[in-house]
Amino acid sequence: MRRTMTALVALSTAAAAPALAQDQSEVLGTYADIAHASYEDSLIKARALQDAVDALIAEPSAAALQGAKQAWLEARVPYQQTEVFRFGNPIVDDWEGKVNAWPLDEGLIDYVDDAYGGATDANQLAALNVIANPTFTLGGEEVDATEITPDLLEGQLHEAGEVEANVATGYHAIEFLLWGQDLNGTDAGAGTRPWTDYAAGDDCSNGNCDRRGDYLKAATDLLVSDLEWMTGQWAEEGEARAAVLEDGDAGINAILTGMGSLSYGEQAGERMKLGVMLNDPEEEHDCFSDNTHNSHYYDGLGIRNVYVGEYVRVDGTVVSGASLSDLVAAADSEVDAELRDRLDATMTELGQIKTAAEAGFSYDMMLARGSDAGEALIMSAVDALVNQTRAIERAVTALGVDQIAFEGSDSLDDPNAVFQ
Amino acid sequence: MRRALVATLCLIAGPAVAGVDAALDEHVLPGTARFAERAAAFEDAAQEDCSAEALRPAYHDAFDAWLGIAHLGLGPLEDGGRGLAIAFWPDTRGMVDRTVRRLVADEDPATSDADAFAEVSVAGRGLFAAERLLFDADYAGYAEGDYTCSLVRAVAKDLSRMAAAVASEWREDFAPLMREAGSDGNTRFLSEREAAQALFTTLVTGLEFVADRRLGVPMGSFDAPRPQMAEARRSGRSLRNVVGYLEALKELARTLSDAPIPQTEAAFAQALETARELEDPVFAGVETPVGRLRVEALQTEVDAITQAVGSEIAPALGVSVGFNSADGD
Repeated sequence: MRRTMTALVALSTAAAAPALAQDQSEVLGTYADIAHASYEDSLIKARALQDAVDALIAEPSAAALQGAKQAWLEARVPYQQTEVFRFGNPIVDDWEGKVNAWPLDEGLIDYVDDAYGGATDANQLAALNVIANPTFTLGGEEVDATEITPDLLEGQLHEAGEVEANVATGYHAIEFLLWGQDLNGTDAGAGTRPWTDYAAGDDCSNGNCDRRGDYLKAATDLLVSDLEWMTGQWAEEGEARAAVLEDGDAGINAILTGMGSLSYGEQAGERMKLGVMLNDPEEEHDCFSDNTHNSHYYDGLGIRNVYVGEYVRVDGTVVSGASLSDLVAAADSEVDAELRDRLDATMTELGQIKTAAEAGFSYDMMLARGSDAGEALIMSAVDALVNQTRAIERAVTALGVDQIAFEGSDSLDDPNAVFQ
Repeated sequence: MRRALVATLCLIAGPAVAGVDAALDEHVLPGTARFAERAAAFEDAAQEDCSAEALRPAYHDAFDAWLGIAHLGLGPLEDGGRGLAIAFWPDTRGMVDRTVRRLVADEDPATSDADAFAEVSVAGRGLFAAERLLFDADYAGYAEGDYTCSLVRAVAKDLSRMAAAVASEWREDFAPLMREAGSDGNTRFLSEREAAQALFTTLVTGLEFVADRRLGVPMGSFDAPRPQMAEARRSGRSLRNVVGYLEALKELARTLSDAPIPQTEAAFAQALETARELEDPVFAGVETPVGRLRVEALQTEVDAITQAVGSEIAPALGVSVGFNSADGD
């Protein structure tokens, strides 16, 4: 008898009061506004990176390389906050591999240390080094790479041989070209590419400096044009905005799917836990620059942004409006309070990683075998993300937007969109 | 009798939250106990004789038992990343090869201390590190007294330790937590529905993992098949694993559902029949158009099981799919 009663109770909570359509569309409007502002900020910062790269190539110097690195680090701040839009928005998910793919076999692009090895079972092109090789064979066909252009990177090199580790474009390819390999393993220190890798004439180190500059320029130009496109998708007439606003329940579901998928499978699992479990510094998300602590932190902040309906732009202004939090609170205030608490708890944990890293205990050091302090820092953030995911599931239930999971037959074919 | 009664009540009451007890008693607990037992036998066998020839039968037994619980990615297998340490796959970046090679080259002293070995990268532990050592030609012919022998023993001991911990934590902690869903102070499962949904999520995730990864990874694309990436191909187990995973998921579906599940049963039967008739033990056939088509057909049938459990079991339990660890890239 008890079980039957519980079942009825469960049913009644599952069928929570449907939100007013108007509330939903306001919440979705805020979400799209935050997406637009976040991508526009990413674009603004990518253009600043483009200027810094142009300056480095025009007049190579230690200061110019440092300027480009600083611009890259700043560009990551808004971009990482957009990752929450990936899951749940097919327009973003289909596109983001060009911009933020990781991890990469960097030997595809440029010279690497001997310890890197050569081609592997999984990737025959792992040590192709396109900067040093103006022509090469790809899948039996001769490729003319005498001119390094955005088209070459995007059309022929990126994911060449259908190997995901062949990342020829995006933030991490640029990161490698600015920092070089981090050869310190799980000890302190990032990559130490000399500025002379971009120097002219006899000053050029490691050869092919002009081609290296061409590559850096092509990759940065491509990043800017990709971000221009995505910013447009979220503008007033943009397709991504229209897709989200088209159907209230589905739009709300897309927000929650993005939050949950990034929290759990992607960040807690793939990016954080796996690195600790493998003790592998290459499992660092921003491994060349040692910026992983920020990468994780701003991923987490992006999740919080879309829930509380507030985003702080790179110029300090704030985009805010009706929030998903309001909607959940109206359905079940306890669920909302729990989710807010857990999002804040995650930011505290991610903040501790960032704090320790900025004080010199870098993320790769945290990954070292036997680093109890590092493991504890990372795993408590993982636990916080897992707890947050459970609260997100409860929000899905409270809003009654989960039943659409089984209405369409194509939903389950896409493991990245379990709630769609 | 009790189950029949509950089933009747469910029919009257419409969608019902049920099946958690049955899934725990008839699927999870026996499965985790069996894996602990087989892993312990593998460890004993390794202590007795570390040679690959002697150890392979016990290895296969332990792996077979693992298939029964591999999908239970919540609780004891999630905590501390134990699932990854037991079976690190897919290994898209060749980490097992690199890590095992380095352990052997360095004669890493972690093998002499269980606590130290537990700190080793998951790519150097568990079933896939053991597979390298027992089946890869690069390590063949090691003998008592060689470093490789002590590494095999350390891997077996570590596996057994983890398997025992998983079984006891399910029995002592996590199963009670699921059974007491909704009771005061249980913040993990606020209602029976949450417990049922968590188990249902492992079912769907397990099915998706079989289709997308265990079959999908070696399939690669038409132009770039990747048979060398097939799970456990060195031990010749790729297809045997898929059959075992599907059998385990069928058991979970049956125990989780009180009502009859004819669509689900039919979908499982079809996929299992196709798998058994495949005659392609390590999916080497994906390199030929015909062979690839046959593996693809199996993949489609596994997807059909997912559809069936979604339309049949989910509404009966009043649940949907939660987030799962495969939601990332």
